[in-house]
Amino acid sequence: MRSVLEPTIPIDVGVRSQRQRIIEAMINCCAEKTYAGTTIADLVSRASISRTTFYKRFAGKRECFDAALDCCLDELQAAATRSHSSSDSAPEAVRKAAVAILDLMASKPALAQLVVGEAVAVEPAVIKRYRGLLIPALEALWDTTGEPRDSHTDRRLAFGRAQVLIYNQITAGDTKAVSDLLPEIVYISLLPFAGHEEALKQARLTGGDVSTGSGDR
Amino acid sequence: MTDNGSDLRRWRLPRGRHGLPRELVTRSQRERLLAAVVRVTAANGYEATSVADILEEAGVGRESFYELFEDKKDCLLAARQLLVDDLAATVSAAYRGPGPWVDRLRNGLAAMLDWFAADPAAARVVVVELAAVGAASRSLFQADFNRFTKLLDDGFEEEEPVPGLPQATTLAVGAALARVFESVVRGRTAQLPSLLPGLTYEVLVPFVGETVARAEEHRAAEIGGAA
Repeated sequence: MRSVLEPTIPIDVGVRSQRQRIIEAMINCCAEKTYAGTTIADLVSRASISRTTFYKRFAGKRECFDAALDCCLDELQAAATRSHSSSDSAPEAVRKAAVAILDLMASKPALAQLVVGEAVAVEPAVIKRYRGLLIPALEALWDTTGEPRDSHTDRRLAFGRAQVLIYNQITAGDTKAVSDLLPEIVYISLLPFAGHEEALKQARLTGGDVSTGSGDR
Repeated sequence: MTDNGSDLRRWRLPRGRHGLPRELVTRSQRERLLAAVVRVTAANGYEATSVADILEEAGVGRESFYELFEDKKDCLLAARQLLVDDLAATVSAAYRGPGPWVDRLRNGLAAMLDWFAADPAAARVVVVELAAVGAASRSLFQADFNRFTKLLDDGFEEEEPVPGLPQATTLAVGAALARVFESVVRGRTAQLPSLLPGLTYEVLVPFVGETVARAEEHRAAEIGGAA
Protein backbone atom coordinates (compact mmCIF):
# COMPACT_ATOMS: atom_id res chain seq x y z
CA MET A 1 0.00 0.00 0.00
CA ARG A 2 1.11 3.49 -0.81
CA SER A 3 2.22 5.53 2.19
CA VAL A 4 0.70 8.97 2.55
CA LEU A 5 4.21 10.18 3.14
CA GLU A 6 5.42 9.01 -0.25
CA PRO A 7 6.11 11.99 -2.56
CA THR A 8 3.55 12.42 -5.32
CA ILE A 9 5.65 14.71 -7.47
CA PRO A 10 7.67 12.65 -9.96
CA ILE A 11 11.27 12.17 -8.94
CA ASP A 12 12.65 13.62 -12.19
CA VAL A 13 10.49 16.73 -12.37
CA GLY A 14 13.42 19.06 -11.76
CA VAL A 15 15.62 17.40 -14.33
CA ARG A 16 12.88 17.44 -16.92
CA SER A 17 12.12 21.06 -16.30
CA GLN A 18 15.78 21.95 -16.74
CA ARG A 19 16.04 19.91 -19.92
CA GLN A 20 12.91 21.52 -21.29
CA ARG A 21 14.15 25.03 -20.47
CA ILE A 22 17.43 24.36 -22.21
CA ILE A 23 15.65 22.92 -25.23
CA GLU A 24 13.43 25.98 -25.46
CA ALA A 25 16.48 28.22 -25.18
CA MET A 26 18.04 26.31 -28.07
CA ILE A 27 14.92 26.67 -30.22
CA ASN A 28 14.72 30.42 -29.61
CA CYS A 29 18.45 31.10 -29.95
CA CYS A 30 18.53 29.23 -33.27
CA ALA A 31 15.63 31.30 -34.55
CA GLU A 32 17.37 34.52 -33.58
CA LYS A 33 20.97 33.87 -34.50
CA THR A 34 21.06 30.45 -36.23
CA TYR A 35 22.63 27.29 -34.83
CA ALA A 36 26.08 28.32 -36.06
CA GLY A 37 25.80 31.61 -34.18
CA THR A 38 24.50 30.09 -30.92
CA THR A 39 26.96 29.53 -28.07
CA ILE A 40 26.65 27.50 -24.87
CA ALA A 41 26.84 30.85 -23.04
CA ASP A 42 23.70 32.00 -24.91
CA LEU A 43 21.84 28.85 -23.88
CA VAL A 44 23.00 29.04 -20.27
CA SER A 45 21.92 32.65 -19.90
CA ARG A 46 18.64 32.19 -21.71
CA ALA A 47 17.63 29.07 -19.73
CA SER A 48 18.83 30.63 -16.44
CA ILE A 49 20.91 27.63 -15.49
CA SER A 50 24.60 27.18 -14.82
CA ARG A 51 27.10 25.92 -17.33
CA THR A 52 27.62 22.88 -15.07
CA THR A 53 23.91 22.08 -15.23
CA PHE A 54 23.95 22.40 -18.99
CA TYR A 55 26.69 19.80 -19.24
CA LYS A 56 24.86 17.52 -16.80
CA ARG A 57 21.87 17.45 -19.12
CA PHE A 58 23.63 17.48 -22.49
CA ALA A 59 27.05 16.40 -23.72
CA GLY A 60 27.30 19.47 -25.92
CA LYS A 61 25.61 21.91 -28.26
CA ARG A 62 24.90 19.35 -30.95
CA GLU A 63 23.30 16.85 -28.56
CA CYS A 64 21.11 19.63 -27.21
CA PHE A 65 20.13 20.63 -30.74
CA ASP A 66 19.21 17.04 -31.59
CA ALA A 67 16.98 16.88 -28.49
CA ALA A 68 15.34 20.16 -29.52
CA LEU A 69 14.68 18.77 -32.99
CA ASP A 70 13.13 15.59 -31.50
CA CYS A 71 10.90 17.77 -29.36
CA CYS A 72 9.73 19.85 -32.36
CA LEU A 73 9.12 16.78 -34.51
CA ASP A 74 7.05 15.14 -31.75
CA GLU A 75 4.91 18.25 -31.55
CA LEU A 76 4.37 18.37 -35.31
CA GLN A 77 3.61 14.69 -35.47
CA ALA A 78 1.06 14.96 -32.66
CA ALA A 79 -0.68 17.87 -34.41
CA ALA A 80 -0.81 15.95 -37.70
CA THR A 81 -2.23 12.84 -36.01
CA ARG A 82 -4.93 14.81 -34.18
CA SER A 83 -6.01 16.63 -37.33
CA HIS A 84 -7.91 13.87 -39.08
CA SER A 85 -10.14 10.93 -38.19
CA SER A 86 -10.68 7.48 -39.60
CA SER A 87 -13.77 8.68 -41.48
CA ASP A 88 -11.67 10.92 -43.73
CA SER A 89 -10.60 9.70 -47.16
CA ALA A 90 -6.85 9.57 -47.74
CA PRO A 91 -6.69 12.82 -49.75
CA GLU A 92 -8.81 14.61 -47.13
CA ALA A 93 -6.62 13.31 -44.33
CA VAL A 94 -3.49 14.54 -46.11
CA ARG A 95 -5.05 17.95 -46.60
CA LYS A 96 -6.08 18.22 -42.95
CA ALA A 97 -2.68 17.08 -41.73
CA ALA A 98 -0.98 19.69 -43.94
CA VAL A 99 -3.29 22.39 -42.56
CA ALA A 100 -2.48 21.33 -38.99
CA ILE A 101 1.27 21.31 -39.62
CA LEU A 102 1.30 24.71 -41.30
CA ASP A 103 -0.94 26.22 -38.62
CA LEU A 104 1.42 25.01 -35.93
CA MET A 105 4.39 26.40 -37.85
CA ALA A 106 2.64 29.74 -38.32
CA SER A 107 1.93 30.00 -34.60
CA LYS A 108 5.43 28.86 -33.57
CA PRO A 109 7.92 30.53 -35.89
CA ALA A 110 10.96 29.35 -33.95
CA LEU A 111 9.84 25.73 -34.20
CA ALA A 112 9.31 26.10 -37.94
CA GLN A 113 12.69 27.74 -38.41
CA LEU A 114 14.42 24.94 -36.51
CA VAL A 115 12.76 22.09 -38.40
CA VAL A 116 12.93 23.40 -41.96
CA GLY A 117 15.94 25.70 -41.69
CA GLU A 118 18.46 25.01 -38.94
CA ALA A 119 18.15 21.21 -38.91
CA VAL A 120 18.89 21.06 -42.61
CA ALA A 121 21.82 23.45 -42.21
CA VAL A 122 23.27 21.49 -39.28
CA GLU A 123 22.95 18.13 -40.99
CA PRO A 124 21.65 18.06 -44.58
CA ALA A 125 21.07 14.31 -44.23
CA VAL A 126 18.23 15.09 -41.79
CA ILE A 127 16.05 15.12 -44.92
CA LYS A 128 16.35 11.33 -44.90
CA ARG A 129 15.04 11.19 -41.37
CA TYR A 130 12.08 13.42 -42.26
CA ARG A 131 11.25 11.15 -45.12
CA GLY A 132 11.45 8.17 -42.82
CA LEU A 133 8.74 9.80 -40.70
CA LEU A 134 6.57 11.23 -43.44
CA ILE A 135 6.50 8.79 -46.31
CA PRO A 136 5.35 5.76 -44.26
CA ALA A 137 2.76 7.96 -42.54
CA LEU A 138 1.40 9.11 -45.92
CA GLU A 139 1.47 5.61 -47.33
CA ALA A 140 -0.34 4.27 -44.28
CA LEU A 141 -3.22 6.68 -44.92
CA TRP A 142 -3.70 5.16 -48.34
CA ASP A 143 -3.38 1.62 -47.04
CA THR A 144 -5.87 1.97 -44.19
CA THR A 145 -8.53 3.58 -46.37
CA GLY A 146 -7.90 0.97 -49.04
CA GLU A 147 -7.72 3.62 -51.75
CA PRO A 148 -5.56 3.02 -54.78
CA ARG A 149 -2.37 5.00 -54.87
CA ASP A 150 -0.47 5.70 -57.95
CA SER A 151 3.11 6.76 -58.39
CA HIS A 152 3.02 10.05 -60.26
CA THR A 153 6.27 11.58 -59.12
CA ASP A 154 9.04 10.35 -56.92
CA ARG A 155 7.34 10.48 -53.53
CA ARG A 156 10.65 10.86 -51.73
CA LEU A 157 10.94 14.32 -53.23
CA ALA A 158 7.72 15.64 -51.77
CA PHE A 159 9.25 16.59 -48.45
CA GLY A 160 12.25 18.33 -49.99
CA ARG A 161 9.98 20.49 -52.09
CA ALA A 162 7.76 21.40 -49.15
CA GLN A 163 10.78 22.17 -47.00
CA VAL A 164 12.25 24.55 -49.58
CA LEU A 165 8.98 26.46 -49.91
CA ILE A 166 8.39 26.79 -46.18
CA TYR A 167 12.00 27.78 -45.56
CA ASN A 168 11.71 30.46 -48.20
CA GLN A 169 8.56 31.84 -46.59
CA ILE A 170 10.11 31.83 -43.11
CA THR A 171 13.29 33.57 -44.21
CA ALA A 172 11.06 36.32 -45.56
CA GLY A 173 10.41 37.02 -41.88
CA ASP A 174 6.67 36.57 -42.11
CA THR A 175 5.88 33.26 -40.48
CA LYS A 176 2.15 33.91 -40.51
CA ALA A 177 2.41 33.87 -44.29
CA VAL A 178 3.34 30.19 -44.09
CA SER A 179 -0.40 29.51 -44.32
CA ASP A 180 -0.36 31.18 -47.75
CA LEU A 181 1.52 28.14 -48.96
CA LEU A 182 -1.20 25.75 -47.95
CA PRO A 183 -2.57 25.02 -51.44
CA GLU A 184 0.95 24.38 -52.74
CA ILE A 185 1.94 22.14 -49.81
CA VAL A 186 -1.24 20.09 -50.09
CA TYR A 187 -0.63 19.79 -53.82
CA ILE A 188 2.96 18.61 -53.36
CA SER A 189 1.96 16.10 -50.67
CA LEU A 190 -0.79 14.57 -52.80
CA LEU A 191 0.75 14.65 -56.26
CA PRO A 192 2.89 11.52 -55.83
CA PHE A 193 -0.03 9.48 -54.50
CA ALA A 194 -3.19 10.81 -56.07
CA GLY A 195 -2.07 12.59 -59.24
CA HIS A 196 -2.56 16.11 -60.53
CA GLU A 197 -6.39 16.27 -60.62
CA GLU A 198 -7.03 15.09 -57.07
CA ALA A 199 -4.06 17.08 -55.73
CA LEU A 200 -5.40 20.23 -57.35
CA LYS A 201 -8.92 19.56 -56.06
CA GLN A 202 -7.71 19.22 -52.47
CA ALA A 203 -5.38 22.21 -52.86
CA ARG A 204 -8.36 24.37 -53.85
CA LEU A 205 -10.37 23.11 -50.87
CA THR A 206 -7.79 24.62 -48.53
CA GLY A 207 -9.37 27.99 -49.29
CA GLY A 208 -11.97 27.06 -46.68
CA ASP A 209 -9.40 25.92 -44.12
CA VAL A 210 -7.51 29.16 -43.73
CA SER A 211 -8.66 32.63 -42.89
CA THR A 212 -5.88 34.35 -44.84
CA GLY A 213 -6.22 34.51 -48.60
CA SER A 214 -3.61 32.78 -50.67
CA GLY A 215 -2.99 35.82 -52.84
CA ASP A 216 -2.43 36.04 -56.55
CA ARG A 217 0.74 35.22 -58.27
CA MET B 1 45.30 22.05 -50.82
CA THR B 2 42.47 20.53 -52.82
CA ASP B 3 43.34 18.41 -55.80
CA ASN B 4 40.48 19.35 -58.12
CA GLY B 5 41.13 21.40 -61.21
CA SER B 6 44.28 23.31 -61.91
CA ASP B 7 46.64 24.64 -59.28
CA LEU B 8 45.73 28.25 -58.60
CA ARG B 9 49.28 28.90 -57.45
CA ARG B 10 50.42 28.70 -61.06
CA TRP B 11 48.65 32.03 -61.60
CA ARG B 12 50.84 33.72 -59.00
CA LEU B 13 52.72 36.71 -60.30
CA PRO B 14 56.52 36.47 -60.20
CA ARG B 15 58.34 37.69 -57.11
CA GLY B 16 60.43 40.82 -57.29
CA ARG B 17 59.87 43.74 -59.63
CA HIS B 18 57.48 42.79 -62.38
CA GLY B 19 56.35 46.31 -63.19
CA LEU B 20 52.67 45.29 -63.37
CA PRO B 21 50.09 47.86 -62.35
CA ARG B 22 48.83 47.58 -58.78
CA GLU B 23 45.27 47.17 -60.02
CA LEU B 24 46.17 44.05 -62.00
CA VAL B 25 48.01 42.51 -59.05
CA THR B 26 44.98 43.05 -56.81
CA ARG B 27 42.64 41.58 -59.37
CA SER B 28 44.80 38.49 -59.78
CA GLN B 29 44.82 37.98 -56.01
CA ARG B 30 41.11 38.53 -55.72
CA GLU B 31 40.32 36.07 -58.49
CA ARG B 32 42.52 33.39 -56.97
CA LEU B 33 41.04 33.92 -53.53
CA LEU B 34 37.47 33.62 -54.83
CA ALA B 35 38.26 30.40 -56.69
CA ALA B 36 40.13 29.08 -53.65
CA VAL B 37 37.43 29.79 -51.07
CA VAL B 38 34.90 27.83 -53.13
CA ARG B 39 37.24 24.86 -53.50
CA VAL B 40 38.27 24.61 -49.86
CA THR B 41 34.79 25.30 -48.48
CA ALA B 42 33.29 22.59 -50.68
CA ALA B 43 36.05 20.18 -49.65
CA ASN B 44 36.17 20.83 -45.88
CA GLY B 45 32.87 22.49 -45.04
CA TYR B 46 32.56 26.14 -44.03
CA GLU B 47 33.05 25.59 -40.30
CA ALA B 48 36.30 23.65 -40.74
CA THR B 49 37.74 26.06 -43.31
CA SER B 50 40.28 28.60 -42.09
CA VAL B 51 41.65 31.70 -43.77
CA ALA B 52 45.00 29.88 -43.81
CA ASP B 53 43.45 27.11 -45.97
CA ILE B 54 42.21 29.71 -48.45
CA LEU B 55 45.62 31.43 -48.58
CA GLU B 56 47.36 28.10 -49.13
CA GLU B 57 45.04 27.15 -51.98
CA ALA B 58 45.23 30.59 -53.63
CA GLY B 59 48.91 31.27 -53.09
CA VAL B 60 48.11 34.68 -51.64
CA GLY B 61 49.55 36.27 -48.50
CA ARG B 62 47.54 37.02 -45.36
CA GLU B 63 48.02 40.76 -45.60
CA SER B 64 46.74 40.87 -49.16
CA PHE B 65 43.72 38.81 -48.11
CA TYR B 66 42.71 41.28 -45.43
CA GLU B 67 43.15 44.19 -47.81
CA LEU B 68 40.53 42.58 -50.04
CA PHE B 69 38.15 40.90 -47.62
CA GLU B 70 37.00 41.41 -44.06
CA ASP B 71 37.09 37.74 -43.16
CA LYS B 72 36.37 34.22 -44.35
CA LYS B 73 32.64 34.89 -44.55
CA ASP B 74 33.07 38.05 -46.60
CA CYS B 75 35.27 36.17 -49.06
CA LEU B 76 32.89 33.22 -49.36
CA LEU B 77 29.84 35.43 -49.84
CA ALA B 78 31.63 37.43 -52.55
CA ALA B 79 32.43 34.20 -54.41
CA ARG B 80 28.90 32.94 -53.95
CA GLN B 81 27.41 36.15 -55.32
CA LEU B 82 29.55 35.82 -58.41
CA LEU B 83 28.34 32.24 -58.86
CA VAL B 84 24.65 33.02 -58.37
CA ASP B 85 24.90 35.94 -60.84
CA ASP B 86 26.48 33.61 -63.36
CA LEU B 87 23.80 30.95 -62.79
CA ALA B 88 21.02 33.51 -63.25
CA ALA B 89 22.60 34.82 -66.46
CA THR B 90 23.02 31.29 -67.82
CA VAL B 91 19.46 30.21 -67.03
CA SER B 92 18.03 33.49 -68.27
CA ALA B 93 19.87 33.26 -71.61
CA ALA B 94 18.45 29.77 -72.22
CA TYR B 95 14.95 30.63 -71.01
CA ARG B 96 14.54 33.97 -72.78
CA GLY B 97 15.33 32.55 -76.22
CA PRO B 98 12.80 32.17 -79.05
CA GLY B 99 10.11 29.46 -79.22
CA PRO B 100 7.08 28.30 -77.24
CA TRP B 101 7.11 28.72 -73.46
CA VAL B 102 7.26 24.98 -72.74
CA ASP B 103 10.42 24.64 -74.85
CA ARG B 104 12.02 27.73 -73.33
CA LEU B 105 11.22 26.43 -69.86
CA ARG B 106 12.84 23.08 -70.62
CA ASN B 107 15.90 24.86 -72.04
CA GLY B 108 16.15 26.95 -68.88
CA LEU B 109 15.91 23.87 -66.66
CA ALA B 110 18.50 22.04 -68.74
CA ALA B 111 20.88 25.02 -68.54
CA MET B 112 20.39 25.13 -64.76
CA LEU B 113 21.13 21.42 -64.30
CA ASP B 114 24.19 21.63 -66.59
CA TRP B 115 25.51 24.64 -64.71
CA PHE B 116 25.41 22.83 -61.37
CA ALA B 117 26.80 19.58 -62.82
CA ALA B 118 29.77 21.39 -64.40
CA ASP B 119 31.21 22.44 -61.03
CA PRO B 120 30.22 20.33 -58.00
CA ALA B 121 32.26 22.55 -55.65
CA ALA B 122 30.37 25.64 -56.79
CA ALA B 123 27.08 23.74 -56.47
CA ARG B 124 27.91 22.78 -52.89
CA VAL B 125 28.76 26.35 -51.93
CA VAL B 126 25.64 27.77 -53.54
CA VAL B 127 23.04 25.36 -52.13
CA VAL B 128 24.53 23.72 -49.01
CA GLU B 129 27.34 25.72 -47.41
CA LEU B 130 25.49 29.04 -47.47
CA ALA B 131 23.45 28.02 -44.43
CA ALA B 132 26.64 27.61 -42.38
CA VAL B 133 27.53 31.32 -42.47
CA GLY B 134 24.84 32.17 -39.93
CA ALA B 135 22.00 34.68 -39.90
CA ALA B 136 23.17 36.50 -43.06
CA SER B 137 22.34 33.37 -45.05
CA ARG B 138 18.61 33.85 -44.56
CA SER B 139 18.20 37.12 -46.42
CA LEU B 140 20.57 35.91 -49.14
CA PHE B 141 18.56 32.74 -49.63
CA GLN B 142 15.42 34.83 -49.78
CA ALA B 143 16.86 37.25 -52.34
CA ASP B 144 18.09 34.43 -54.57
CA PHE B 145 14.81 32.55 -54.37
CA ASN B 146 12.87 35.68 -55.33
CA ARG B 147 15.28 36.39 -58.13
CA PHE B 148 14.63 33.02 -59.77
CA THR B 149 10.87 33.22 -59.19
CA LYS B 150 10.89 36.61 -60.91
CA LEU B 151 13.06 35.29 -63.72
CA LEU B 152 10.47 32.59 -64.36
CA ASP B 153 7.55 35.02 -64.07
CA ASP B 154 9.15 37.51 -66.45
CA GLY B 155 9.42 34.85 -69.14
CA PHE B 156 5.64 34.44 -69.35
CA GLU B 157 3.75 35.78 -72.30
CA GLU B 158 0.05 36.45 -72.75
CA GLU B 159 -0.89 33.14 -74.36
CA GLU B 160 0.87 30.95 -71.82
CA PRO B 161 -1.00 28.50 -69.60
CA VAL B 162 -2.66 29.80 -66.45
CA PRO B 163 -1.44 27.75 -63.50
CA GLY B 164 -3.89 25.80 -61.36
CA LEU B 165 -2.28 27.12 -58.19
CA PRO B 166 -1.68 30.70 -57.04
CA GLN B 167 2.03 30.29 -56.39
CA ALA B 168 2.95 27.91 -59.20
CA THR B 169 6.20 29.68 -60.03
CA THR B 170 7.30 29.49 -56.40
CA LEU B 171 6.45 25.82 -56.59
CA ALA B 172 8.59 25.47 -59.72
CA VAL B 173 11.66 27.13 -58.19
CA GLY B 174 11.17 24.99 -55.07
CA ALA B 175 11.02 21.82 -57.17
CA ALA B 176 14.25 22.70 -58.95
CA LEU B 177 16.08 23.63 -55.77
CA ALA B 178 14.91 20.48 -53.97
CA ARG B 179 16.27 18.32 -56.80
CA VAL B 180 19.63 20.12 -56.83
CA PHE B 181 19.96 20.10 -53.04
CA GLU B 182 19.16 16.39 -52.90
CA SER B 183 21.75 15.52 -55.55
CA VAL B 184 24.47 17.69 -54.05
CA VAL B 185 23.97 16.22 -50.56
CA ARG B 186 24.10 12.70 -51.98
CA GLY B 187 27.27 13.49 -53.92
CA ARG B 188 25.52 13.03 -57.25
CA THR B 189 25.94 16.56 -58.61
CA ALA B 190 27.50 15.41 -61.88
CA GLN B 191 24.41 13.29 -62.67
CA LEU B 192 22.00 16.24 -62.38
CA PRO B 193 21.41 16.59 -66.16
CA SER B 194 19.82 13.12 -66.18
CA LEU B 195 17.02 14.49 -63.97
CA LEU B 196 15.73 16.81 -66.69
CA PRO B 197 12.70 14.68 -67.73
CA GLY B 198 11.39 14.23 -64.16
CA LEU B 199 11.98 17.87 -63.29
CA THR B 200 10.28 19.04 -66.49
CA TYR B 201 7.20 17.04 -65.46
CA GLU B 202 7.20 18.38 -61.89
CA VAL B 203 7.54 22.00 -62.95
CA LEU B 204 4.98 21.80 -65.75
CA VAL B 205 2.21 19.73 -64.20
CA PRO B 206 0.60 22.56 -62.15
CA PHE B 207 0.46 24.67 -65.33
CA VAL B 208 -0.60 22.22 -68.01
CA GLY B 209 -2.05 19.15 -66.24
CA GLU B 210 -1.10 15.50 -66.22
CA THR B 211 -1.34 14.55 -69.90
CA VAL B 212 0.67 17.40 -71.40
CA ALA B 213 3.26 17.33 -68.60
CA ARG B 214 3.76 13.59 -69.12
CA ALA B 215 4.21 14.10 -72.87
CA GLU B 216 6.78 16.83 -72.20
CA GLU B 217 8.61 14.52 -69.80
CA HIS B 218 9.01 11.98 -72.61
CA ARG B 219 10.11 14.67 -75.03
CA ALA B 220 12.74 15.89 -72.61
CA ALA B 221 13.99 12.30 -72.31
CA GLU B 222 14.22 11.96 -76.08
CA ILE B 223 16.04 15.26 -76.47
CA GLY B 224 18.40 14.33 -73.65
CA GLY B 225 19.01 10.90 -75.20
CA ALA B 226 19.75 12.42 -78.61
CA ALA B 227 22.17 15.02 -77.28
